[in-house]
Amino acid sequence: MTDYLTPSTRDSVNEWDHRLSEKLLEISNLRTYFFTEAGVVKALDGMSLEVNRGQAVGLVGESGSGKSVTAQSVLRIVPRPGRIVAGSVKFEGEDLLSKSDDDMRKLRGPKMAIVFQDPTTSLNPVFTVERQLTDILMLHRDLTKEAASKRALSLLERVGIQEPEKRLKAYPHELSGGMKQRIAIARALSCEPMLLFADEPTTNLDVTIQAQVLELLKQLQRELNMTMVMITHDMGIIADMTERVTVLYAGKVMEVADTPTLFHSPKHPYTEALLKAVPSVKQTRALEVIPGNIPNLIEPPSGCVFNPRCKYAKDVCMKQEPLLEKVEEGHYVACHFWRELKLEGRAG
Amino acid sequence: MFSETVDAAHNDLYVGLAATLITTLIGVAVGALAGYFKGVVSDVLLGLIQMFFVIPVLLLILLFARVFSVLVFHGLGLTLIVLILAFFGWSGIAFIVRGETFRLKEMEFVQAARSLGAGSYRLLFRHIVPNILSPVIVVATLNIAGFILTEVVVSFLGFGDPNTSTWGLLLNEGFPYVRTSWWVSLFPGLAVVFCVLGFNLMGDGLSDALNPRLRE
Repeated sequence: MTDYLTPSTRDSVNEWDHRLSEKLLEISNLRTYFFTEAGVVKALDGMSLEVNRGQAVGLVGESGSGKSVTAQSVLRIVPRPGRIVAGSVKFEGEDLLSKSDDDMRKLRGPKMAIVFQDPTTSLNPVFTVERQLTDILMLHRDLTKEAASKRALSLLERVGIQEPEKRLKAYPHELSGGMKQRIAIARALSCEPMLLFADEPTTNLDVTIQAQVLELLKQLQRELNMTMVMITHDMGIIADMTERVTVLYAGKVMEVADTPTLFHSPKHPYTEALLKAVPSVKQTRALEVIPGNIPNLIEPPSGCVFNPRCKYAKDVCMKQEPLLEKVEEGHYVACHFWRELKLEGRAG
Repeated sequence: MFSETVDAAHNDLYVGLAATLITTLIGVAVGALAGYFKGVVSDVLLGLIQMFFVIPVLLLILLFARVFSVLVFHGLGLTLIVLILAFFGWSGIAFIVRGETFRLKEMEFVQAARSLGAGSYRLLFRHIVPNILSPVIVVATLNIAGFILTEVVVSFLGFGDPNTSTWGLLLNEGFPYVRTSWWVSLFPGLAVVFCVLGFNLMGDGLSDALNPRLRE
């Protein structure tokens, strides 16, 4: 008889635990610039992010803060004239930026995938639902057409599509927005990726459908033990879906924390402003908007990038760029005055 | 006369269809590559497309037909005309395909396919090109009529294959006797008119049928 609980076995269990909790994705100091005719747009300027296996993390910020570019940079599908100019991206401990194009291509799909914002444009208009799914399966899994079709059918059932046999033969324009997004999700999950980026997957859907799609993503993430990076500008989705959050502004990290911590005790004025811009059923106060727009990324403001819109800004904020400082274990903030400021979080 | 006109029909249709098939294949391939890739490849291919687009095709066709006319005696007459037409006639399709590829390659569904591991050629020929087929089919249909007309002109001017009966050749032969025997020219002429009109109407019809906005 084998004794399953000998010390050595227990050690290896611990080791396994350790491996499970280890970092799946590590982005550090990533710079992705777009070389346009008007000048160099610094879409990501020293971005860092760590994602543990099985975790759901949020990436939040306004439009143009670099959320989507982060996902594109990790997958290395940044559209021209964009280019990753510095930094490192490690996935399962391997450096993605030094991989050949072909090696990278093989990782997309089986290792990492992305669900885009608008399912109307992210599905090929001349492909049937079946072909949207089988094309990718036949590419990575070396399946026959019949086997791929079978798998496509089970994927449709998995994402909760009614009458899947009938839908396989349908074209995208014959389906509703919610159904199309479910199919886009099925396609992203077809090769069982370890890491899924969800790039504002519900922004273009009706509110009721939004809730269903989020519920589906949550359920799939749990069942497949998948790591998910949720990209959104909606703090409500962050609260609902994620364990950790990174707040991005103008291509830089403003604050990183566990989701409850970020909501209860934000340390960055921008995080506070984002939280105040979320409507709430309980409170009857007027919504606060953040004055101004996201800065010109060709010539960002000197010092702290948020200073032109920050109501607490002082002289030093215009001169010196704040570094990411540790507030406590797992909570980091890039603000000169995080110790002095008494910022308001949100209860519940 | 009637039987000669009917007999010529299959030769003319052969020229039109074969030349269209070859030009469509060349045009789609060159146009897609020129639209998808950047840098030297694209510049060279675009230059090539533009060159073939602006040169006076008819004159060169006549020149080539004369230069290679030795082949006619080996029974290659009609095929020679097809090859010459095809060689000079693919740039219109290539222009359309290049423009559409240029537009489509920035679309999100292409980005989505790339994000799932599709390589350049898979993206181009399996995801982008199928989206361009409807305008290509329409233009190709119109091209059939165009090639038949060009062949008629070439044969009428006496640069065609004198051993193969085509409408152009019949017109050419009938031309000296127009005053006395008008019917020798009239019927092949009418055949050309109806054939070209027919393919043009077919092109219009296809363009409506393939336009998703007009579909129910």
